[in-house]
Amino acid sequence: MGRELSTGVPDRTDFYVTVAAMVMIALWTTLAGLYGARARSTSDFLWASRTVGPRWNAAAVSGEYLSAASFLGIAGLVFKGGVDALWYPVGFTAGYLALLLFVAAPLRRSGAYTLPDFAELRLGSARLRKICTAFVIIIGWLYLVPQLQGAGLTVHAVTEAPQWVGAAVVMVIVTFNIYTGWTHSITLVQAFQYWIKLTALAIPVFVLLIHYAGEDPGFRNSLSASAPPSFSQATDVTPDHDVVLHVTKPMRVMVVGTPDGRPTKGTMPLAPGENRVAKGTTLHFDAGSRVPVISGAVVDNDTWLCPLSQGQRSLLATYSLIVALLLGTMGLPQVLGRYYTDPDGRAARRTTQLVLALLGLFYLLPMASGWLARLYLPRLLVDGNTDAALLLLPRAALGGWPALLLGGLIAAGAFAAFVSAATALVVCVAGGLSTDVLPSRLQDFRAATLVAWSVPLAFVLAVSPLDLAQGVGLAFAVAASSFCPLLVLGIWWRGLTDTGAAAGILAGGGLAFAAVLPAAVGVLPPGWQAVLAQPAAFTVPLAFLTMVVVSRRTRDRVPTDVSRILLRLHAPDRLGLSEDREVGQLGTRIWRAAAALSRIRGGRHRR
Amino acid sequence: MSTTEPVGGVGRRSVVGVGNRPVGGTDSRPLVDPWAAAHTSTEFAVLRNRLRGFVFPMTTFFLAWYFLYVLLAAFAPHFMAIRIVGNINVGLVFGLLQFVTTFAIATIYVRFANRHLDPVGSRIREQVEGGTW
Repeated sequence: MGRELSTGVPDRTDFYVTVAAMVMIALWTTLAGLYGARARSTSDFLWASRTVGPRWNAAAVSGEYLSAASFLGIAGLVFKGGVDALWYPVGFTAGYLALLLFVAAPLRRSGAYTLPDFAELRLGSARLRKICTAFVIIIGWLYLVPQLQGAGLTVHAVTEAPQWVGAAVVMVIVTFNIYTGWTHSITLVQAFQYWIKLTALAIPVFVLLIHYAGEDPGFRNSLSASAPPSFSQATDVTPDHDVVLHVTKPMRVMVVGTPDGRPTKGTMPLAPGENRVAKGTTLHFDAGSRVPVISGAVVDNDTWLCPLSQGQRSLLATYSLIVALLLGTMGLPQVLGRYYTDPDGRAARRTTQLVLALLGLFYLLPMASGWLARLYLPRLLVDGNTDAALLLLPRAALGGWPALLLGGLIAAGAFAAFVSAATALVVCVAGGLSTDVLPSRLQDFRAATLVAWSVPLAFVLAVSPLDLAQGVGLAFAVAASSFCPLLVLGIWWRGLTDTGAAAGILAGGGLAFAAVLPAAVGVLPPGWQAVLAQPAAFTVPLAFLTMVVVSRRTRDRVPTDVSRILLRLHAPDRLGLSEDREVGQLGTRIWRAAAALSRIRGGRHRR
Repeated sequence: MSTTEPVGGVGRRSVVGVGNRPVGGTDSRPLVDPWAAAHTSTEFAVLRNRLRGFVFPMTTFFLAWYFLYVLLAAFAPHFMAIRIVGNINVGLVFGLLQFVTTFAIATIYVRFANRHLDPVGSRIREQVEGGTW
């Protein structure tokens, strides 16, 4: 068996397989985009035509939604945190249930293309629209950071190239596709992306499970003992950033490097509690030795299998996370646009129902791979690179050509995840920038695409990253504290006013953003983890409360046509009530830019 | 919580009916406005009541179900740690059940909406378009 005994430098074949996987994803998206550009008309530019059925659209929604966090991040979190990490996939899925019950059909009937459109349509305020656009951009940027980070990590894990290379590759593919009209066929492409991601994860996981079932159990880590995981063979680990390791019983390791700041060569004792290890230090573990784990990871395998094992201290953080994920999904800027593809509210409901099934099906796989990583990759618990678990799993478990092929498949799926999620986000951010921030002309949409990249790229280069799933969690917290109250109250309460909505968004969303910023830039003060990194339990109620109180105090600002708007949101619509043309005027600026872009591309548009 | 406010008029569920003005808000249009009339019609009240009657209890249920899981994990860790088969314990089964219930609730809602909400809405639309009001 060609197992890796150390982190070692991967051979060239790995490099070629990964590059081939990336090129395949790039070629596929570009060709599908060019095909789509021929087949569709101008008016489809941003959100595709509204003739696809709920099945296609559900796959497209899922394809766009399953980002770096879902593909790599959840496997990493389950690996590190055990059953506790189940909350991420459960929350990512349940968010669509809240969306279905409260907003899906009314939102579709509103005819709004974007969240700022909805705000302007419902409350008729240009000022509120600008505030909403600002939050679309903030949420989009927070969400883009983990995508670029995941891309960097993927390329780095397989080829040892620096982190920025992967981020740059994703940026180039996405920008090229947006410029050449890839989004023409966005529904078709995004729908296929879902199946690519599912296949890219399902095949390796099933192969590894079969391998696991047929393997000599002595050759891998065991999960049945109430002890820390142990190395099944001698292993060298070299963390590429400073780590804090936890052990329950004292142990000794061979080191080369600078643990505790002193250059050392020889054995180093690890005492129960925290042990600091500087980056670049090589730790050598003999076969059978226990695995010290980085802070934040679960030490014992027994506790790993139990939820909330880190004690009741994490109860608040867990509640906060549930609130953010459950209510944040409806406020994500890229989700609403997808619903425009459904012809009516009924189809929007059906789409959401199918999305729940597709997401549930998908999320079984990262959970299973987190479990497999616990068996085969204990060294990642030492160097903290848990997000790479999925990528390194085939090599750790199989070796040889099968590992290479499965690794390439996973890398391709991961790239599909970064590209599809990043495309949707960049289109939203650039759309917001070009319609509401920059003066609206064609050049601005192109320029806006570059501006949309700049901030997340700077973040990825400058700050030490969070776990992927946690990074995406920050975007959810801000979305839940800003757009969720706007949508829920806007759809269900006629008393909402523009002043109230603006005050609520600024108070809740602003505070949430201020709270997650330290976590996002990696300077989280210890002890404030629960409140700052996951503030939704406080900021969501604050946003709702502010909206209601301020709206009541500005009762004279309730729109005069509120009856008409609410009726339209709640009455089925197949024919007359919901004329998209009517609201189209609000959303047309972005379409006009799109149409102009399409004309310049060679006038293939037809009306 | 504010989401429990009725759609028409702030907390004035009882006064909404045929011919009544929506008391909350500032709708000052004449009574003949079909939109205002439709909004205060019995059909719309039925639609609203059915929707609320389904969505709010169901939301309470699924929130209670999610939070129950967290509470059990925090306060009954021994129960959650009971092994069922091999490495699979009660906690894991509960976690996976969350996916099943989420999908089940969505399915029930979609059926409910198609059977009980859409027909009422269609009647309202026909009446507005047909100029009944």
